[in-house]
Amino acid sequence: MRSASDRLFDACNVVLMTLVAIVTVYPFLNVLAISLNESLDTVRGGIYLWPRKFTLANYEAIFSFGGLLVGLRNSVLRTVIGAVLGVFSASMLAYALSRRDFSARRPISVFLALTMYFSGGLIPTYILMRDLGLLGTFWVYVLPGLVNAFNVFVVRSYIDGLPFALQEAAKMDGASDWTIYWRVVLPLSKPVLATIALFVAVGQWNSWFDTYLYNGSEEHLTTLQYELMKVLQSTMTGNEQSYRGRNMTEVMATVSPESVKMAITIVVTVPILFVYPFLQRYFVKGMTLGAVKS
Amino acid sequence: MKLDFKRSALLLLASVLALSAAACGKSGDDGKTTTDSGASSPSPSTGAQADNTPITFTFFSSDPSPNWNNMQDEVGKVITEKTGVTLKAEFSTGNEDKVALIAASGNYPDLISPKNGASLLVNAGALLDLTELIEKHAPNLKKVYGPYMKRLRWSNEDPSIYILPTYAGVNHTAFDEGGVFHLQHAVVKELGYPQIRTVKDFENAIRQYKEKHPTIDGQPTIGLSLIADNWRIMISVTNPAFFATGASDDGEYYIDPKTYEAKLHYRRPEEKEYFRWLNHLNAIGLLDPESFVQKEDQYKAKIASGRVLGLIDATWGFADAVNSLKAAGKFERTYGHYPVTLNESFKAANLQDTGFMAGWGVGITKSCKDPVRAIKFLDWLASEEGQILINWGIEGKHYKVENGKRVIPPDVLEKKTNDAANFARTTGIGLYNLLSAHYGDGVKDSTGNYFTTNFPEQIQAGYSPIEKEVLAAYGKTTWKDFFPPASEFPVKPWGAAWNIPVDSDSELNVLFKKTQEIVWKRIPQVILAKPEEFDKLWDEFMKDLIDAGVEKQEKLYTELVKARVKLWNE
Repeated sequence: MRSASDRLFDACNVVLMTLVAIVTVYPFLNVLAISLNESLDTVRGGIYLWPRKFTLANYEAIFSFGGLLVGLRNSVLRTVIGAVLGVFSASMLAYALSRRDFSARRPISVFLALTMYFSGGLIPTYILMRDLGLLGTFWVYVLPGLVNAFNVFVVRSYIDGLPFALQEAAKMDGASDWTIYWRVVLPLSKPVLATIALFVAVGQWNSWFDTYLYNGSEEHLTTLQYELMKVLQSTMTGNEQSYRGRNMTEVMATVSPESVKMAITIVVTVPILFVYPFLQRYFVKGMTLGAVKS
Repeated sequence: MKLDFKRSALLLLASVLALSAAACGKSGDDGKTTTDSGASSPSPSTGAQADNTPITFTFFSSDPSPNWNNMQDEVGKVITEKTGVTLKAEFSTGNEDKVALIAASGNYPDLISPKNGASLLVNAGALLDLTELIEKHAPNLKKVYGPYMKRLRWSNEDPSIYILPTYAGVNHTAFDEGGVFHLQHAVVKELGYPQIRTVKDFENAIRQYKEKHPTIDGQPTIGLSLIADNWRIMISVTNPAFFATGASDDGEYYIDPKTYEAKLHYRRPEEKEYFRWLNHLNAIGLLDPESFVQKEDQYKAKIASGRVLGLIDATWGFADAVNSLKAAGKFERTYGHYPVTLNESFKAANLQDTGFMAGWGVGITKSCKDPVRAIKFLDWLASEEGQILINWGIEGKHYKVENGKRVIPPDVLEKKTNDAANFARTTGIGLYNLLSAHYGDGVKDSTGNYFTTNFPEQIQAGYSPIEKEVLAAYGKTTWKDFFPPASEFPVKPWGAAWNIPVDSDSELNVLFKKTQEIVWKRIPQVILAKPEEFDKLWDEFMKDLIDAGVEKQEKLYTELVKARVKLWNE
């Protein structure tokens, strides 16, 4: 029999969580509604959850630009490859750093930590990529960000939390370092790996600046986000820069930048949302993990 | 101990590395300067036909061009056929970040359109001086720029030509003028088309109509709404002050036409009276109380509801909302444009001529494989043949010549309007306009046709019936007819002050930022104050500006204006 205070707690909990859910979902629905509404009508305001004058014109405007399909392919590739390799690299390094018998763990940790606070700056980084021969290649999307210090530390803390006895036991059974990593540590770390896979995947999916910097002229290496960025820029009028030379850019009369922006937001958000369900089961598993401990 | 030492040495080394890298990053940004250069205009001529062997030039542009089709479009193919040139182009997203990388890395494309990044390239020594190339190989460019060749020079210290201004059209004459003061057609119509010449006329029209119609479509009528969302305050609140007092657009400055002394324009005593008038409008309740808090979308939503009688803004600032009104069939709620000034002694100078506004454009870099072919390519684009091709397309395909007049057939026009992106991608019309010098609207070629596809008849054809009715009632044919013509004003020898580049390391930037902050804070304050407090607050405002160093700022700017006058005219 549950006490009254328990039920009160539940009630508050439900109400609060519902509010949080609404606050989270509403902006998204609003964007969706605006993206499906005629832009001339949107100007009048008052679009909340449902489009007033339904149209797909905003999406048509986006997809009438070339390069989106190639961009989509590259974005998917970099997301998948980047996430797999990123998780793999981060977990390997994290495992090594978690081993107390690894003598260089302190200096390497410090070195890693430094990269979280300092960067080479735009131009030196660009020159480095050039000298590494990465300009104009697909790998410039994956390799430079392969090992992310923050992700490594997250995984290491998690591995530190695993009972070391498991590793010792494996070792006594004759397992090599690799086997311990692959057969013991990795399977136990699934929740944290899912987490950073998500970080990396979302980061990869959303990034456009590296395309712009390194592969701006390589059409076959363009990414979805970069193409959409260009679409957005080309529909922007009346901003401070172009207002002096209004004749410079042709105005797209039928769709407004606002509506295009909303449609783009939907186009870039929805695909990555599909990643969540796949990773979700690992989060759930993570919660039961403690129980297995002997 | 020893280990500790090692560790700290390593740490030190690492941080030194990191810091020096960071410092490098910074120094890369140093010496960023803002430069405007842009000029263009078409000139008729069929460039010398010479070397047409295929050549590929790399090209970088700071502006996006999402419909670029690697010159596989119809116009692009003709360009390649005529000049042998194919461009391998990269289009940026509209900012100049990447120009800094290009300048620092030394990987220059053959041709580059760097916008404000030009000074980075010039400082890096990346751009060729085009003076001689133009002299020897570019008769069309010379013809198009004509008397404005002086405006192509970089600076008084370095008179080289690094950039061919390609953004502005030479001798561009707008066929219509929107001004900054706007009244709903319904207002003037109901009041029997009163003269709208001074701010008092403007105010009276709004007041009388609002008294008769306290609500429109069930919502409270708003007399006048302004927009002060971020930089829009300059367009809707401060710029109109100089327009209302007979000055033309020099950005935040007023330039004395005789001495070239620059002054923050709100410091002119005349403009104080303009702000006093706004203050008065607020006091009598005609000014929308949300003017200084509303965001752009709220502003547009209000206008699109049709209940804002008067606006003070640039026409593009509310074009979306007007389109929305038209789509809803509320044509009487769209706006007419009037040459309003503070009193009859001022003459609205909106149409005052700046001359050709050299600025952003295209340069040829040191890495260019064949600068002569490059300049000849740009020259061909500037020829009459080239410009007609770029603007109109291919004869027989995209336009016809009927009785000596170029006409766009209805089916082509239909595609151009309703399927714009596809049209641009397949035909290439509109993709090559910013590559070379070109004439602006209103300039005619050797056959008496306009170079651009805009012509005055279009403007009138685009007016709605009520717009025509209002214009007819005032005895005008276009809104431009309301405004004193350019011929009544001298040409400004400095062009326009807003187009004068300021070095990024100049003290001017800091002073400008400081004084702008004061302006953006104080202007709303004085307008919303009680009328009896206006003078006191205005004096405080002026004093704040002086304390912030406005006099020094104006002195520095005056030097720039004088240098510009010298560069462009001597």
